[in-house]
Amino acid sequence: MATSQPPTNDGPFNIVQTYQTLLHEDPDLTMPVAAIESLILGLSHTPSTTVSETLDLVSKLTLQLKRSIPNSISLSAGTDIFQQYLIANLQKPGPGGLSGDFENIRSHLVQNGRLFVERAKAARETIASFGRQFIRDGNTILTNGGSRVVGALLRSAAEEGNASGKGSIRFRVIYVVSTDDKDTESAENIAALRERDIPVATIPPTAIAYCLDQVTQCFVGAEGVVENGGIISRMGTYQMGMLAKAAGKPFYVVSESHKFVRLYPLGQQDLGIQQNVVDFQTAKGSEDADEGVADMDVETKVLANWRPEDAVDYTPPNLISGIITESGVLLPSAVSERLIEIWF
Amino acid sequence: MSEQQKPAEAPQGEQKLSPAELKKRAKAEKQARRAAQKGEQGGPSQDNAPPNGEPKGQKPSGAPGPAQQKPKVEKQPQKGAHKPSEQDSKKQGTAQQTTMPVRNRRASQSGGGAPREQAKKQENKNVELFSHLYTQPRRQTIEGAPKDVHPSVLALGLQISSYEICGSTARCVAMLNAFKDAILEYNTPAGASLARHLTSHYLSPQIDYLKSCRPISESMGNAIRWLKKLIVEIDPNLPDHEAKNYVCDQIDRFIQERITVADQAIATSASSQIKNGSVVLTYAKSSIVEKTILQSHANGTQFRVIVLDSRPLFEGKNLATRLMHAGLQVEYFPFSGIARAMSDATLVLLGAHSMLSNGRLQSRIGTASIAMAAHRADVPVIVCCESVKFSGKVALDSIVINEVAPSEELLLPPSKTAPTPVKTDDDEEEVKLRGLQDWKEIPNLQILNLMYDVTPAEYIRMVICEYGSVPPSSVPVVHRLVNEGM
Repeated sequence: MATSQPPTNDGPFNIVQTYQTLLHEDPDLTMPVAAIESLILGLSHTPSTTVSETLDLVSKLTLQLKRSIPNSISLSAGTDIFQQYLIANLQKPGPGGLSGDFENIRSHLVQNGRLFVERAKAARETIASFGRQFIRDGNTILTNGGSRVVGALLRSAAEEGNASGKGSIRFRVIYVVSTDDKDTESAENIAALRERDIPVATIPPTAIAYCLDQVTQCFVGAEGVVENGGIISRMGTYQMGMLAKAAGKPFYVVSESHKFVRLYPLGQQDLGIQQNVVDFQTAKGSEDADEGVADMDVETKVLANWRPEDAVDYTPPNLISGIITESGVLLPSAVSERLIEIWF
Repeated sequence: MSEQQKPAEAPQGEQKLSPAELKKRAKAEKQARRAAQKGEQGGPSQDNAPPNGEPKGQKPSGAPGPAQQKPKVEKQPQKGAHKPSEQDSKKQGTAQQTTMPVRNRRASQSGGGAPREQAKKQENKNVELFSHLYTQPRRQTIEGAPKDVHPSVLALGLQISSYEICGSTARCVAMLNAFKDAILEYNTPAGASLARHLTSHYLSPQIDYLKSCRPISESMGNAIRWLKKLIVEIDPNLPDHEAKNYVCDQIDRFIQERITVADQAIATSASSQIKNGSVVLTYAKSSIVEKTILQSHANGTQFRVIVLDSRPLFEGKNLATRLMHAGLQVEYFPFSGIARAMSDATLVLLGAHSMLSNGRLQSRIGTASIAMAAHRADVPVIVCCESVKFSGKVALDSIVINEVAPSEELLLPPSKTAPTPVKTDDDEEEVKLRGLQDWKEIPNLQILNLMYDVTPAEYIRMVICEYGSVPPSSVPVVHRLVNEGM
């Protein structure tokens, strides 16, 4: 598990394993960045001499990676950006001496890719500095999940004001934690906040509406920010957004801009992934066992890997007040403009 | 106390208002008088414009007098004289509009038959709120067309005005093809350069002629703008025939890129939104929606289609027939079946006349109601629209930007059994009302036939253009990128 040089220890490069190793080794790494990093490792490991060969390899690795992960939305944000970046960069050189230059381009690419990974990690701090302006004295913040960037934001707000680690802003946090004790991700954030003298209350998801009148604003993380400005995030975010909207509380999404993904869901059933959330059962067992779908093999395999705590839902943009990214605080409608800029 | 004050204040208020108001009234009445004179009735005493600020209270009694005396006979020739030239009657109409409130009041006060006659005779049949949309009546013949309009354009104009070519994309393609014919037969006069002369002296009359047949659509406007820019940028030293060939090639490329290929891309991307078991609802007929549905059907998706349709054009019949022939399961609903249809639908696909810059959709009238019903039922609304139809305009309502079609199109064909003549309560004169066919004779009746309405952006879940799916809020971004940069 902890092998740090995945390319060297087995003959053919295994992208899936690399990806999972990377995620394991560095808890600060987000899925899209891990995907990009493993693609870069794949590129540097596998020799390729032409542009189309490189692109081919990347798309093959991407597909392989997507197939093996139950929820590929977040990582596809990374692979998409990388692919687009590759296409844009590989087409840059003029017609003359393309083959000669290719090695340079490739090494440049690999280096730049590493730079990108570094920048993506640094983005979290930038976001925290933007986001903490939203937190004022006396605020009560509602949040959920183990989002690292939300954690960084809240920590940064708690530390603001003096260097001793005890901040001058007094605010409180209500943390929504799922009742099954598997929620270890949020425990870390909660502990960090309590250490900094920030009072934190933990509530089950069923109590959101009950505490909403004490809340001044909500912050949530996201696995992916989709084209219309909606987000795909941990199960339960949608209902939190709905309740916040109903109560008139601002609902902010905190996310790095590399999580912007070219996906446009129309509703919950339109995410393009299989989730075993709604499972009708009778005394005889599950109801849709006999549903014949063409690629059953792939699906069952992916579904077998699927864990209930991986479940995500889609929060439509009309529930979101703002998206805090490292390049500023955006309205949901600005996401599409960003994506158009990248893709057109 | 208050009663005493009131009469005292009223004339004062009148006098305050009077300079501007009276001037306006005098002008209007002068116009009306002139019109009356034209209709070979002098009537100089008809309305004395009160320049001296005559108190209003007296005026009504003074003015309707002559109006009442005006013989009924006189009205007939006048009407006859004015009908053919509708512009004239419109002018008259606007003149009357300003005086209308006063006249109406008078008529109700005096209660005589004759003043009502008067009101009826001069009633403006244009709905005032939409008066900015009434242009000259649509050209239905080539009579009087400017001589330098090319025959292809002439023919196209008639096809457009008779709705034979109706959709905004179809009109755009047909127009570009007609322009191609026209440009090929163009010869630059001596001493002029093609780049300078072609647009202003040759294309403009063609465009004006098309505009006189039916107001041009947003896509046509975008295409014309592109064409003009293309022509202006031609090197003046280029030989005539080469320049003409170049323009024609570019037009072909434009049609290919912006419409044909765009349509394919949209159909491919939109058809992926149709899943097995979907119920797709659409309204009227859009070529791109038709393409999408057919493509999805060809892909083997099992789904149902509901076509909603409405008067007066019944475009949906055409769509339903074609889909039926393609082997799809189609339900055809009248517009009144909207609620029933929406309870079944899982997806609403709409075509567009134009996407406005505030993300609103301008489309066949009735679309907004469909989108609203869908929004209420939480059914996703998807608009399929080529980027050539994206517009820089902004509209908050359907009033400012719209198109008024001839009111006659809204009338039902005359029924075979002639309705019995109805006698009005006033026995002054027997008025025969033969149903809506005679709407121009029926007092206080105006018929409004609008072509489009504007759907708010929040009812639209997604806009599919050839560059992908975007939320309606990104329409101006795409428009800037593709229509203004071209």
